[in-house]
Order: sequence, then C-alpha cells, then structure tokens
Amino acid sequence: MWKNYLKVAFYSFKKGKLFSLFNLLGLTLGITCSLLIFLWVQDESAVDTFHQDSEQLHYVYTTQTIDGEVSGGLYTPALLPAEIKKKIPEIALATGIAWSTETTFSVENQTHKLRGNHTGEDFFKIFSYPLLAGDASTVLKKPESIVISRHMAELFFGSPQQALGKTIRYEDRKDLQVTGVFENLPAHSSLQFDCLLTWQAFMDDNWWTQDWGNKGPSTVVKLKKGADPEAVAAKIKDFLLAYDDDQSETFRTELGLFPFAKMYLYSNFENGHPYNGRIDYIRIFSIVALFILVIAGINFMNLTTAASLRRGKEVGLRKVMGAYRASLIKQFLAEAFLMCSLAVLLALGLVQLCLPSFNILTEKQIAIPWAAPYFMLSLFTFLLLMGLFSGSYPAFFLSSLKPVSILKGTLKFGRNALLIRRGLVVFQFTLSLLLIIGTFVVSQQVRFIQSEHLGYNRENLLYIPIEGDLGEKYPLFKEQALAVPGVEQVAKLGQSVTSIDNGTGGVNWDGKDPNSKVQFTHLSVGYDFLETLQLELVAGRTFREDYATDTAAYLVNEAALAIIPYEDPVGKRLAFWGREGKIIGVLKDFHFNSFHHQIEPLVVRLGEAEEGWDGMMAVRIKTEETQKALATLETIATKLNPAFPFTYQFAEEAHQRLYRSESIISKLSRLFAGLAIFIACLGLLGLSIFSIQQRTKEIGVRKVLGASVARIIQLMSSDFVRLTLLAYLLAVPLSWYVMNDWLSDFVYRINLLDHWYIFMYTGVAMFFITLLTIIVQTYKAATLNPATVLKDE
Amino acid sequence: MIRLADIKKIYRTTEVETSALNGVSLTIQQGEFVSIMGPSGCGKSTLLNILGLIDSPSEGEYYFGDLEVAKYSESKRADIRKGNIGFIFQSFNLIDELNVFENVELALIYTDMKSKNRKERVMAVLEKMNMTHRMKHYPQQLSGGQQQRVAIARAIVNRPKLILADEPTGNLDTKNGEDVMQLLTQLNEEGTTIIMVTHSPHDAEYGQRIINVLDGKIVSENKLKAFQNASPS
Repeated sequence: MWKNYLKVAFYSFKKGKLFSLFNLLGLTLGITCSLLIFLWVQDESAVDTFHQDSEQLHYVYTTQTIDGEVSGGLYTPALLPAEIKKKIPEIALATGIAWSTETTFSVENQTHKLRGNHTGEDFFKIFSYPLLAGDASTVLKKPESIVISRHMAELFFGSPQQALGKTIRYEDRKDLQVTGVFENLPAHSSLQFDCLLTWQAFMDDNWWTQDWGNKGPSTVVKLKKGADPEAVAAKIKDFLLAYDDDQSETFRTELGLFPFAKMYLYSNFENGHPYNGRIDYIRIFSIVALFILVIAGINFMNLTTAASLRRGKEVGLRKVMGAYRASLIKQFLAEAFLMCSLAVLLALGLVQLCLPSFNILTEKQIAIPWAAPYFMLSLFTFLLLMGLFSGSYPAFFLSSLKPVSILKGTLKFGRNALLIRRGLVVFQFTLSLLLIIGTFVVSQQVRFIQSEHLGYNRENLLYIPIEGDLGEKYPLFKEQALAVPGVEQVAKLGQSVTSIDNGTGGVNWDGKDPNSKVQFTHLSVGYDFLETLQLELVAGRTFREDYATDTAAYLVNEAALAIIPYEDPVGKRLAFWGREGKIIGVLKDFHFNSFHHQIEPLVVRLGEAEEGWDGMMAVRIKTEETQKALATLETIATKLNPAFPFTYQFAEEAHQRLYRSESIISKLSRLFAGLAIFIACLGLLGLSIFSIQQRTKEIGVRKVLGASVARIIQLMSSDFVRLTLLAYLLAVPLSWYVMNDWLSDFVYRINLLDHWYIFMYTGVAMFFITLLTIIVQTYKAATLNPATVLKDE
Repeated sequence: MIRLADIKKIYRTTEVETSALNGVSLTIQQGEFVSIMGPSGCGKSTLLNILGLIDSPSEGEYYFGDLEVAKYSESKRADIRKGNIGFIFQSFNLIDELNVFENVELALIYTDMKSKNRKERVMAVLEKMNMTHRMKHYPQQLSGGQQQRVAIARAIVNRPKLILADEPTGNLDTKNGEDVMQLLTQLNEEGTTIIMVTHSPHDAEYGQRIINVLDGKIVSENKLKAFQNASPS
C-alpha cells in the first residue's frame, strides 16, 4: 500500500514538475530561514549559561540618582568585591572584573599584543573556565601572578604544561609569573580575554581605585546555595552609604543584583536597572522566524490544494474503484509528509552550506547541533505538524468529494475557502511589507549613523596608543612624525574621541549649588588636538604653548553651558577636581559617544605635560599617503619604543564598532526580508494559478463574448492588486509604529516623516512585484484558446 | 454570409497528430438555419468553433462576409466576434459569480456601449426571454431551462447576425428543450442566421438543412425546407 502511495506521490510530483518545484522551493527556503534564525537565537540565549551553579551567579550593578536624574550601569567601586563578601553572609564568593585591553607581553625575543584583564582571587571558583594547569583557589593569589589561556601558553611556551612557573614581561615594566593556564574561552562566554592579572595589580596601577567614590570595574558574586537573590539585593541596596562620603540627598548610589547569565541579553539600563538589550532582537527575530514558517506553511497548503484540484479525476476514479475515504486521506497525507521531509532534508543541507557565510555575517560560530536530541526531536515534531497542517486540507477536502461530481468536472471550492485563502495572502503580504519597510528604515538609520557629521573629522584620523617609552618620548615622536610627508597633525588624547566615558562630579563654577553633583564627561588633551580632530570653536581659543597659564585653563562644549549658566563664558572661573582655572573657549558640540546617547556636558583640560599618561595620540594623515606615512610612523615608533609592537586604529573603524549590532541587524533583516518577500511571491503565484484554474470557464466565456487579452489580464490581476493594496494599507501604520519604537532607542535618529518615500517606494515595488508574479499566469490564461476551455465543459 | 473552402484542423501533440477536420467546404446564406449532426468526436464542435471564430483552422479559407478570416489573429477574431456572433452552449456557460442581469450585460460590456443603453438593451432582451423577474438571481438559483434562456438572452443581446448553438437542448428536459427550439426558430424568422450542432434528429429538423459530419468530413446534406433569403445581406 505504502509503496503505491509513494509511487503515486512521485508520479504526481513529476507530472506537475514546475508547480512541485515551486512548492518545494518555498517550503525549503522557509525552513532554511527559520532554522538559521532558530540557531542564532539558540546561540544568543546560550551565552554565559555554561557556568556551574549559573543561577547563583549575579552581577552587582549600581543605580545612581544625581539631582533627580537616574542612571544605571555595571560600574562599581574596585573595593566593593572584597568588602561585600566580608559583610554579607549570603555572598559566598565575589570578584571584581576590570576590562579587557590590548596589552603588550613579551618573553625573551617574542612580543605579542593580547587581551589582558584583571580579576580577583575568587574568579576561577566562581566561573567554570577549566584550568589546564594551576589550582583554582591560588592562581591569582600573589600580586605578580598571571593566568594565561592555552592559546597564549602555546604562543609563548609551546604548551600549557611548559608555561607554568615561567616569567612573562608585562608592558615592558613588570615581570609576572605564570601560575595557571586555562582552556581557550568558548565563544559562548561574554567575557573574553587571553590572560588574567590580579586585582592587587589593578589597584596598584590605578590610584583612583582606592576611593569608594570612583566606580569603573564590575563586580560578580556567587550567592550561597539557597540564598534568595531578592533578599540579598534588598540587603545590599544601601551598602555604599557606609563607605562613600559623597552620598547625599542629591547624589545616591544604590546596589542591585542581576543574574550573570542574563546580563548579555539585558545589558541596556532603563531607570537605573537592566532592561532589554539584545533580547529585543531575539524576540523580533523569533517572531520573524515564526512568521516566515507560517507563511511557508500557508503557501505549501495553498499550492498543494491548488495542485490537488487537477487530481480530482484521480480521486473520483479511485473512489469508483472502491477506495475508502481513509485510504485517500492517508494517500494525501503521505504525499504531504514526503514533500515536507524532502524540504527539511534540503533545508538542512542548505543551512549547512550557508552557515559559514551566516557566521561571518553574525560574527558567530554556529553549527548545526546534530547530536543534540532536542534538535532532532524538535525537527521531527515540526515535520509532523507541518505535514499535518499542510496535507490535511487537501486530504480531507478531496477525499470528501462525491465521485460523480468530480468525474463530471464540476470541482469547485466554496466562498469560505476562497476567503480564507485571500486572508492568508493579505496576512503574508502585510508581514513581508513590514519586513521590507523595517529593513529600509534600519538601513537608513545605519546610513545616517555612518554619514552624519560627528562634529570632528573621523576620516584619515589614526589613534596610536601611548605605551612604554612613548609617553616620555612623546615630544620627540611628535617632532619626527610631523616631519613625515603625509602626516598633518599629531596630538595627545586621554581617550579616543569615538567614545569618551570618563565621568566626574568634581566640576565647580560661580553660583553652583554646593549640593549638586551634576556629572561632566572630561577629557585630557595635548596641544593641537583641536586642529588634529578638526573640531570647531564657538567662542574663545584653544590651548596654546605660548600661554603658560593654560595648564589651568579649560574648554567646555555647548552642552556644558546648558548647566553652567555663564552668559559670556570665556574668561570665567571653572575649577576641575579642585584645580582653579578659567574657561578659555567653547567647543561646538560633537559626538563622543554612540547615537543612542545624548551629547553630554564636557570639560576638556590640558594634559600635555602630565606624567604616567596612559592614553593615546591622534594623528591626522593625508589620504593619498596613508600607506607610506604608516610605514614611516612604524619605523619611528619602533625606534623610540622598541619593547612595544606598533599598533594603531583608524577612527572610522572605532566608530563603526560602536554600531556593530545595528550593522548585523541591518544585514540580517535585509536577508530575511528578501526571503520573506520571495516566499510570499511563491504563495501569490500559487494563489493566482489556483484562481485561474477555478475561473478558466469564465475566462473562456468572456473571451467568446469578445473580451480582449488586456481586459482578461486586468480582470484576473485586479483581485490580487486589491489584496496587496489592502496588505499595504495594513502594513504602513503598523510598520510606522514598530519602526518609530525601534528608532526611539536612538537620541540621534532619522525622522520617518522625512523618509516617507520608503513607504511609497515599498508600495510601488510591491505593486510591481505582485504584477510580475501573476502576469505570466494571467497572460497564459488570457491567451488560452477559448475553444479548448469550453470543450472541457 | 459564410463560405468555408477545404478547411482542415489538425491537433498536434509531441507524439500524436489528430485530424479533427479534414477538408470541409461549406456555404451558409444570411438568414439560414443549419443543423450539423454527427457522432461524438466527428469534428462538429470543432467546425462550430471555427465558424464562430473562437478557433482557427490549420488550413483552408474562411470567408465571413467579404473578409477572409482564416489567418486572423485572436484579437482580430475577437473584434469580429463581439459584434456579429452569439453563442449558446450545451452547459449554458453562465458565470456563477454574476447574476442574470450581469451575465447578459457581459456581452455588451466588451462593445464599449454606454451604461444607460446597455441597461435598456438588457432589459428588452430579458423581457423577450420572459426572465425579467429573475434578473437578480444567480445561475445556481435557476432551473436548466431558465439558465439556457439567460444564455440565449446573452447570445442575442448584441443583435448578432449569426448565432452558433452547440447542443443547446443537451442538458434540458423535453419541455424546456422544446421552448429553446421555439426561441431559436423565432430568432431565425426575425432574420438571424443560426448554425446548431445537435445529436437530436428531432431538434435538427427545426433547421432548413442538415449537414452530416463523419470523421472530419461532410458526408451528406439533407435539405428539409426551401430557404428564402429574408433579408438582403
């Protein structure tokens, strides 16, 4: 029996080759697309969940209220981990985690730049990063210890075992002893580093960490088994009051707990607490995947039903020959399952093929989890559901027909079935339009980000870190660099202007409320910074070498003047960290953070002669001489600072990195929108074939009565054009609402009203795509010889 | 009015070549009522389709009036069709989604007649067919006889010179069949040329002559009544 089913299924597939191929293609693409999204969502959700006792691990975050303004973040005082572990009995372990920075390490003749971080003694007891050598409880005990990755161990010493006990030179100023080697970090770890140095070393290198008022590193705690995180959070809420003297009515810092494993997805803060973030994209894409799958399923059902109409005769004959209804249902379901299985197999192959490119696109290392039972189980469940969903309608409908009416050729679907089918077309087109408009808006915003003038010129601007001897020899470097053809300007910078995040409440001016702790961003710069960055001055002047008093002079931006109410600020008093001075100039506002953030008030001070400088320099070069200039700069830097490899970064690159997720989302949505519209078109094609099949007699009659080809095409297309128009009318307000909501995350964003044409173009494009899809079919129907059609009657 | 000379119609598929008409020559005068008879598959419907310009011959000449239309394109054939020829089918071929009025009106829509004139014309024809009281009904709400009356109304609303009827009583009972034949006779008496394909010898006798077709050829012709050319062409 089953053999016969398969045989008939194969035969009917072959008979309607093009139709069957369309059907298979649509379903395969739908499954491929959803599978890719599913794998991506799986991968995103798996980040940081691999740690043992993961539910006991929590980030301590801070909620700051300054003059009524609430903000939040993971920055905590460096003294917090040790103290909180001591004072709160429910906390079993605690560690601080600084930040991963490119650091120079050398062993004998080998020098490499690797990502180094600082962390506390409990680190390897809290997190499940397996140690290949060394003891988790002691590896970070001695201040001069360093724990390195397998990769780093192999790089310097050949193997993890050989690395243990060896010495590594750090930043050419300190020798560290390898006390442990950990396995290379999995891609699913949000923390990424090549080596870890001790917390003591971090505190020693950063004087400001001794003060409870300064926050920067993050703190992770492991609660004791059974401890209630909410109760602990309530307990530590006012923990800092006892330590930070600055806490007052107008300046409050509270602590909170947030699950470590969830922080990757909820890294945005709202009202001072973690709220959304990447989870938004997970939700959006999960919905997209579901929609695409539903669209593909609907189409599959539509096309199968349409194809089955041609098989009315077969069904009628089978019934006449004595087939039971049940056996016919089985036959059609078997065919649907066969088709779905084929689509799933093809989709798996396609996903396997696409994964390398998809991984590049999403910057991930996703693989199909062949061995995971849940994966196979969900695939099988999906197959079962899809087969039932798509095969049931044709199966039950066709098998219910009376043999006489089928054999007489009066097979026709009722009005309700047609209405449902049209509703489904409107649904999938609304969805595709939503995706297309969404994609356009995201691309426009990304383009806006990329092209918007930041207030400084980021083209041909280089950042070179000042490290090792370069700090001391900076004047010499600058002098030699400026002599290189192609180098236009050189200036010291405390931080890259792409993202300045130094905050302080230590700014004073005449008339300031003594209780106010209003926060300013601050940047330390060297001479010529204005010219190098090509910033604009609104008033006054910049720092000049011939003004000795400029060491106590400040520049502020326009945003700062919204807080400092000086009418004519140049020459007025300003004190920074207690150092009295004068405002000498006002900078036109420029973006020194992502477009998600408002331009903050900024104070710029002169740090040309500061000692222990760990910033960088900005170098402006000419476009046409970039390569030559870079080569010469490398020679100069290597000569002056031989212990450190020469590294640099283009400001443009740093800027793009700020919008990494937007850029990925933009690419992903483009891909999925394209696929969705393609699948929707296949559905439309199916429906038009179906509808034409149903109206062949009508077309014949109309032609006999004198209707021209154009009139028939118009008649047959108008229905579909109406349906897409309806979908368009639904999609426009919906997409407007959704995309406006997405854009509201950006302080600096495009205005949808200015981009009305996106909506218009999408509509026009959709109209043409609809016509193009159905025109071949309607043309075929319209040019059909009416004699053939009416003969069938 | 119509002259066919050595008309052939060959259907080709990749493997088989079937000859439906095999050298048919035929002349029909304006105002004639001609019945075409023959067994199933003999080519009579093909002949009717070619006569009605909904199909074109593979070979031969076809004069419709003074025009040689055998090689006409579909759009040119449609132009001639819509002003000159009305069709009546065995299965009525009414459009299920349109009501009686709209079905009849359809034939006028493609002639670009003004809406007001169309309405008057349709109402007049429906009255003639005694179907005014059913004009808001849909085909599936009518009996077979009524459906065929609507189909005839649609065929004549254009005031065609020629009506082609393909087994017009095939789906009707005797009483309704008789009514339809009376209607056709009446139309013929009013000057319309009628060519009818039928299986029924009884119906065929309504015509002035009977043409017998077998295997794509005219094998005999019986003249039943004298034909007088009522109206000059």
